[in-house]
Amino acid sequence: MKKVMYLEFERCIGCRSCQAACRECGGHDAKERNYVEYIDFFESRQTFPMMCMQCKDPACAKVCPANAIQITEEGVVLSAMEEKCIGCRNCTFGCPFGIPKFDFEENKMYKCDMCYDRTKYDISPMCASVCPSDAIRFIDHDEMMELRRRRTQMNLIEGKKPSENDKWQYVPEFFGVYSD
Amino acid sequence: MTQFVVKPGVKNLQHDGEKLITTHCCYCGMQCGMHIRVNEKTGKVVGVEPRYDWPVTLGKLCPKGVTAYQTVDHPERITKPLIKKNGKFVESSWTEALDLIEKNFKELQAKHGKDALSVFGGVSMTNEKCYLVGKYARVALGTRYVDYNGRFCMSSAAGGFMKTLGIDRGSTLPWPELEHTDCFFMAGSNTAECHPTTIQWLWKARDKGAKMIVADPRETPTARIADVHLDLKAGTDSALANGLMHLIVKEGYVDEEYVNERCNNYEELKTSVEKFTPEYTSKITGVSVGKLVKAAHIFGRSPRSVVMFARGVEQQSKGVDNVCLYTSMALLRGQIGKFASGVATFTGQGNGQGGREHGQKADALPGYRKIDNPDHVNYVSGVWGIDPAEMPKAGVSAYEMFDEIQKGNIRAMHVICSNPAVSAPNNHYIWDGFKKLDFMVVSDFFLSETAEFADVVLPATTWAEDEGTTTNLEGRVIRIRKVKDPIGDSKTDWEIMKLIAERMGKGSYFNYDNVPQIFEEFRIASKGGKADYSGMTYERIENEDGLFWPCPSEDHPGTPTMFQETFGTPDGKANLAAVDWQEPNENPSDAYPHILTTGRVVFHYLSGTQTRRTDFLMEQCPEPYAEMHPHLASKYALQDGDTVFLETKRGSMSVKARITKAIREDHVFIPYHWGKELSVNKLTNPALDPTSRMPEFKVCAVKLKKA
Ligand code: SF4
Ligand code: SF4
Repeated sequence: MKKVMYLEFERCIGCRSCQAACRECGGHDAKERNYVEYIDFFESRQTFPMMCMQCKDPACAKVCPANAIQITEEGVVLSAMEEKCIGCRNCTFGCPFGIPKFDFEENKMYKCDMCYDRTKYDISPMCASVCPSDAIRFIDHDEMMELRRRRTQMNLIEGKKPSENDKWQYVPEFFGVYSD
Repeated sequence: MTQFVVKPGVKNLQHDGEKLITTHCCYCGMQCGMHIRVNEKTGKVVGVEPRYDWPVTLGKLCPKGVTAYQTVDHPERITKPLIKKNGKFVESSWTEALDLIEKNFKELQAKHGKDALSVFGGVSMTNEKCYLVGKYARVALGTRYVDYNGRFCMSSAAGGFMKTLGIDRGSTLPWPELEHTDCFFMAGSNTAECHPTTIQWLWKARDKGAKMIVADPRETPTARIADVHLDLKAGTDSALANGLMHLIVKEGYVDEEYVNERCNNYEELKTSVEKFTPEYTSKITGVSVGKLVKAAHIFGRSPRSVVMFARGVEQQSKGVDNVCLYTSMALLRGQIGKFASGVATFTGQGNGQGGREHGQKADALPGYRKIDNPDHVNYVSGVWGIDPAEMPKAGVSAYEMFDEIQKGNIRAMHVICSNPAVSAPNNHYIWDGFKKLDFMVVSDFFLSETAEFADVVLPATTWAEDEGTTTNLEGRVIRIRKVKDPIGDSKTDWEIMKLIAERMGKGSYFNYDNVPQIFEEFRIASKGGKADYSGMTYERIENEDGLFWPCPSEDHPGTPTMFQETFGTPDGKANLAAVDWQEPNENPSDAYPHILTTGRVVFHYLSGTQTRRTDFLMEQCPEPYAEMHPHLASKYALQDGDTVFLETKRGSMSVKARITKAIREDHVFIPYHWGKELSVNKLTNPALDPTSRMPEFKVCAVKLKKA
């Protein structure tokens, strides 16, 4: 898998299409694994999507006493294996992004697997496929790096130059999730 | 023809034991491309797969589109005709239902004349069906009373475009060109929630530096990302447009050459905008002078701009004026008929464009012809094989049909593909009208609030159980494919109209065995009209990624960009609007001190008949709410989540308060997708635009109290 998930939070329009689409993925049992939240609805309608970062050294897997969370050769962190998961919920607390969800009826953890049945063929995951605002994208690593430099470029086009006091405004504001 | 259409090199996930059928979403005017997943063994619809290679939407879908397939095999589908006996619906056979319809229709016409019957249509169905509704009313039933729910949705845009440009095509440019636009001026459109898949094009343009100006009383997700948010008071659009044109003229941003060559009324316009100084405009609209000036400069300096609007400006008693004025802004800048620039309205309903062109409207005939034009009547009568003298005269608009019910002129109604019990303004009047009818038939696939009033409910099919074409918001005609056979005893709307026509002794005029036969007749009926589809075939539509009308012959490429050389008016010139601002029909007073406005949320479609039956969408947004500013809320000691009682001159309701600073302090917003006690249309004002006969859903005066 040479592609990365790429999030551009500012673009999110809060439509939750990514969540509806998440339910549509083959192995997802009609349960969504991603989150969309308001930053502060009292102030504005800005929302942002949150999904698994597919960490290189995932905290969820590390804190699992039963070794139930497997990582594929491409680096995708899977849901807990049913036969191994003991339902202790360590993973849900361990993950710094609050991603793994817990199904109390089935007594098992489930989480984003980057639509493994799609991405293993290089087909975009459901959330990135449908996001009408391109807040979530599934793109080449190089394209992502180019996009990260875009903000600086746009500022320069508009004639702004960074100074010591405001150079933070020129820092790329976007976020890439690597699987590899 | 192919069922699964995909371009070389595009990968889709094909599950074992399933097939993919290529079609479009059934909901809004974006008509997003999608493939539907069908289980080959059971024949059931099981899911959706993005259509990455549909050029307008590139696989993107909003949550309604993702879940649209779930209505097809839905457990609440009506699968048999229902007849009301002693106040309760009882399942019946088609013969029994048709017998009853025939008996009542004939008796009522014998007693009260032909016009005792009426048809209330809708535009969430294919062109073939919409075309047939007009013919069904006029030929099968022989009544003048036919109109449709586009009066609540598109008719002001249509009226405004007719006046200024001479032809009503929703967009003068194809959507993918938006990527190259430098400035978007958007008024009364919450694009991010109502046409979400457009947003990708706006971002593509913005990535290259395009600017966005959004006029809306609420800081919608669309307004949030604008360079300038013109937070105007609802109902002051014509003042805003005049004010901006005042600045465009004053600052020398007018494309004089274009205006001199291609437009009428420039001098009149200059005179009429003269008094709209930024200060005067600001006083009426409530938008600060600074914002007005900034917006005018951005818009005026942009080499390529698109003016876009939607129901916010159209659903007003001055909707047509608003459309004419905003369109004139684009004309002053010389934008219409050129690459990546122009004017567009966001068509609300799936086939809002196609459905309004072909004779469902009280005064219209196929191909955008007029019923008061004898040549037009002659032509269409020829296609239908009737004597022109038999063609009924023009009827009245959707809301005015309910006046005719009250007067006793309309005695029976057949509602097709619409739910006016929720979507019409001043609900109590509508409900009362339904009760007054001697006989009422509804064709639908769920038991809508309107269907509950009916004497007979006929089970129609969903969009996935029939084929045909629709015309999306660009004016592009596209293919809807049949995904599966109708469930239970349900029948397509065209079959239903054909069956009733046979009962009325007019079967020979409805001799269709399949949809392509209707399409062939409809091509001829539209030939020579403004909306000319005669050069289109299903093969061409499939091979050419849809075709833009007018397309007058089979070797004509279609017309993605309108008005490149001339406009559709008699003298070929556009008519700039010189119109003053006028107040909304109802204004805040001591008794009703605030402004109530209504609209959509991303999770629901129109009256909610379908989306309120979809789990995911209901989980996201189960009920309406009153959105208001904390400043207004605190006057009534309301906290977020408290129940608030709202009342206008027409009706009242109680809903939960939802508090945010993203709305003007003097406005309350309530989404309209719910029926009965949750319907905000009990409160809305039915004041009609004088030209388009569109009601003023967007502005009325309201009072509140903590419940
Ligand atoms: S689909 Fe995209 S825009 Fe919609 S909520 Fe998800 S991330 Fe946000
Ligand atoms: S409702 Fe409109 S935007 Fe949403 S998927 Fe359907 S056609 Fe596209």
